Amino acid sequence: MSGRASRLGWSAASAVVVGWTLLPVAWIVALSLKQPGDLRSGRFLPRGVTLEHYRAVFATPLFTRALENSVGIALVATAVSVALATCAAYALARLRFRGKSIVLGLALGIAMFPVVSLVGPLFDLWRTVGLYDTWLGLILPDLSFTLPLAIWVLSAHFRELPWELEEAALVDGATPWQAFRRVAVPLAAPGVFTAALLTFFFAWNDFAFGISLTSTDRARTVPAALAFFTGASQFEQPTGAIAAAAVVVTVPVVILVLAFQRRIVAGLTAGAVKG
Amino acid sequence: MSGRVRRSGTCAAALALAVLACSGGDARRPGGPTLRWYANPDNGGQARLAARCTAEAGGRWRLEVLPLPSDASQQREQLVRRLAARDVSIDLMSLDLPFVPELAEAGFLRPFTESEGAPLAEGVLRGALASATWRGRLVAAPFTASTQLLWFRRSVAAKAGLPVGERPVTWRELIAAAERTSSTVAVQANRYEGYMVWVTALVASAGGRILENAEAGKHAHAALDGEAGRRAAAVIRSLARSAAADPALSTADEEAARATFQGARGGFMVNWPYVHGAAQAAVAAGSLDRAVLDDLGWARYPRVDDDRASRPPLGGIDLAVGAFSRHGALAVEAVRCLTSRESQRAYMLDARNPAARAAVYDDVEVRRVFPMADLLRRSIDEAGARPQTPYYTDVSAAVVRAFHPPREVDPERTPAAAARLVADVLLDRVLL
Amino acid sequence: MKREHPAALSVGARSAPESKGARERRLGWALTAPAFAVMLGVTAWPMLRAVWLSLHSWRLTDPAGREWSGLRNYQVVLSDPLWWDDVATTTLLTLVTVAVELVLGMAFAIVMHRAVIGRRLVRTAVLVPYGLVTVVAGFAWRYAFALDTGFVNGWLGLGELSWFGARGTALAAIALAEIWKTTPFMSLLLLAGLAQVPEELHEAARLDGAGAVRSFLSVTLPAMRTSLLVAVLFRALDAYRIFDTVFVMTAGAQRTETVSFLAYRQMIGRTALGLGSAVSVLLFLTVMLFAAAFVKVLRLELAPAGGA
Repeated sequence: MSGRASRLGWSAASAVVVGWTLLPVAWIVALSLKQPGDLRSGRFLPRGVTLEHYRAVFATPLFTRALENSVGIALVATAVSVALATCAAYALARLRFRGKSIVLGLALGIAMFPVVSLVGPLFDLWRTVGLYDTWLGLILPDLSFTLPLAIWVLSAHFRELPWELEEAALVDGATPWQAFRRVAVPLAAPGVFTAALLTFFFAWNDFAFGISLTSTDRARTVPAALAFFTGASQFEQPTGAIAAAAVVVTVPVVILVLAFQRRIVAGLTAGAVKG
Repeated sequence: MSGRVRRSGTCAAALALAVLACSGGDARRPGGPTLRWYANPDNGGQARLAARCTAEAGGRWRLEVLPLPSDASQQREQLVRRLAARDVSIDLMSLDLPFVPELAEAGFLRPFTESEGAPLAEGVLRGALASATWRGRLVAAPFTASTQLLWFRRSVAAKAGLPVGERPVTWRELIAAAERTSSTVAVQANRYEGYMVWVTALVASAGGRILENAEAGKHAHAALDGEAGRRAAAVIRSLARSAAADPALSTADEEAARATFQGARGGFMVNWPYVHGAAQAAVAAGSLDRAVLDDLGWARYPRVDDDRASRPPLGGIDLAVGAFSRHGALAVEAVRCLTSRESQRAYMLDARNPAARAAVYDDVEVRRVFPMADLLRRSIDEAGARPQTPYYTDVSAAVVRAFHPPREVDPERTPAAAARLVADVLLDRVLL
Repeated sequence: MKREHPAALSVGARSAPESKGARERRLGWALTAPAFAVMLGVTAWPMLRAVWLSLHSWRLTDPAGREWSGLRNYQVVLSDPLWWDDVATTTLLTLVTVAVELVLGMAFAIVMHRAVIGRRLVRTAVLVPYGLVTVVAGFAWRYAFALDTGFVNGWLGLGELSWFGARGTALAAIALAEIWKTTPFMSLLLLAGLAQVPEELHEAARLDGAGAVRSFLSVTLPAMRTSLLVAVLFRALDAYRIFDTVFVMTAGAQRTETVSFLAYRQMIGRTALGLGSAVSVLLFLTVMLFAAAFVKVLRLELAPAGGA
């Protein structure tokens, strides 16, 4: 088989893969641009393009507030999670102490946890403590599920780092603070950033907590809000509005993926895959 | 060491961020307090009514309407969750009738005092008033009431020789007439609340009840397996197995029934009054033939027994005040305005949902828009309500599960099985 | 003075070895404690409360009717046909999705490994399903399969097939949505394993005259065993917990309810805190049991891997 033909063959296969992975995204975009009468046509592409669904969605406080909540909660959960996980991963990767396996075991165990099992008791707990329908009420459960992921990614990353560079800097006469700032931070930063990205995706995606631990736009996130969109009357399904909202909530994801594909892949595969 | 300090500092800062983020109160508005009214979607009808009453309030309070989900059980789910968390921002809510006992029993509703309740209850149709009362107190204000009528195609009835509308008819006669003329009897028999509505109406029309002693909570007695239950099951079975049944009977809801009735084989249908307005709108939009609308007739809900008056289903919306609202007294004032005779009349004309007050049906304009006004009023007054119990959703789900699919209903076994299932569900002995 | 070889940044260089070890231990715990506390606090405490709730018969809306019922809730759940039906549904979904994802993910991994033109495009595109909100994917596929709005029936020439009207087709739709969403993650894990297979093995196979398929089956796959195992077990545990997709696409109708959805419905829908908690605890135990088995199998796998 000639090299060129095989290269073309693999490229064709790539095209199929790309088409398959982007098909539903293209579909939801197409839906969001369809005219109301066209929504039930069963065709893929819109017959005529309209932005009215986007206008409607941005005029709905249900959605705009949900967007604010999603962004805020995801950012805070990411920041706190990465901060805590960096501390823990550093210790796990570099220090010797008993109980490492307990922490790692707990992290692994929580990664396997069925989220739904927590929803009931957390609802009961939060309403007694007053955290029901608040940002903190969502951030805390999000934290507990994003921490294992962040710890896993970061400790894998930290284990691979050439810490000798830092030690060499100290030997060369740098103060611990200088060694940290000039050597350790730049070394660790990419991994921390990747962990932040992955954590953000996770928090952005949360649904089970969003629908059970909130009930007003004070803290409801977009995935939960999507499930509560209503049409104007009893029988109407707001397909166009939901599609528009879905696209809006996908845009940050696509941007992040486009910009940081290499990092994300490296983080997920613990660096085994070179960009 | 500085590295560790730096790291702990970062950790602490991040935690502080998290603590700060927990604040999320809403800003105060100047002027009179805003009363939040959580209402079901109805094309803006309740919002318009709220504007009217706000204007009449003269600055003492403002009504703001917020949407609930469109599905009734989702409405209930949301309200229950928020009220279980002692939500202070729910001042008024529009409640679907069957959910009133549950919320009342849980202490989520602010009951009306004698003096508050008197104007709210005066002149209200009997069926509607009963639905808003729990343990002897008025816990909600009847706002709209609804019932199902028997809708029929005059041409088909004439061809079958059945004097529908002139005298009461029974289900048996209907089914036979439809079979004779190769038409259909459209009902709602999907696995959802609408099916419970039908089953309840049949049992009530046969003189029975689904649940007795509902105030005993989970020790209420399921009374389905008596004679009435068996006769009701017999009706379901005979319709489901007859040629007059809609082929998609076991998934039919209100809209599907309407479509069947307006279709080629349409003959008879039981459905809510909205179908009349919907048909008029469809004719105006050109999607329905004028002839079908002209052929449309209405009559009292069919009987189960020849000698016993039918008990049509009861639906509607009650307005209730949240128990944790900070403006209870003002909310009661708002409710009085919203459920007054004028408001109910305006709402009935605007949103086409029948009123709960008897006097509204005497209004000239109302009678023009609703030619069946007298029939509606009488049906609501004599309606057979769905069981009033805090466990309503469970009872309903159990009955629907036992009676579905309609073809499999057996008068000897199904009512007994349903009664057993209801008892088990109440006592947490079964998953649902 | 000779500087000790520092084991950690934060300690000064003048400590004696024993206290350095102690300091290192303390530091280690200090750094991991916050994360540990949060993880434990927000999962262990509610789980314990769930166990407590599951020993009662309690409705949220009938607080006066709360009473102790011991293990009866568990007895009810484990003898209820609805529970077993849902377990069967969940297991079926898990088996089907993981099997398909394995094959598809392997195919994608190979494509990503071998493609040169558009390699970055594929890698990027493959991440989009991973980052996409599950609920959005659920809605997209729901509208794609729906009778009125969907294009699937049109493209496949299926006329008026009601995908959500029957159990089999509804499960197929759900499975497809899940597969679409999580194959990328699977393929990345497999890609990592694939990239680590030493080239010499392939060279040797080629020299021996093995074709591409043969080489794949008898050289590549065995060399990737650990990655395959990790990917399959990870995904299987994940798939058993499926919730979002079912919620959005069918809400459990037509017997497509999964165990997670059952727990949610009892707890939040029916406010049957006792029964719902029992289901939650049973779900938790099931998953933990599998996870423990997973770890044991993985350890067994890794143990003889002394070299290569």
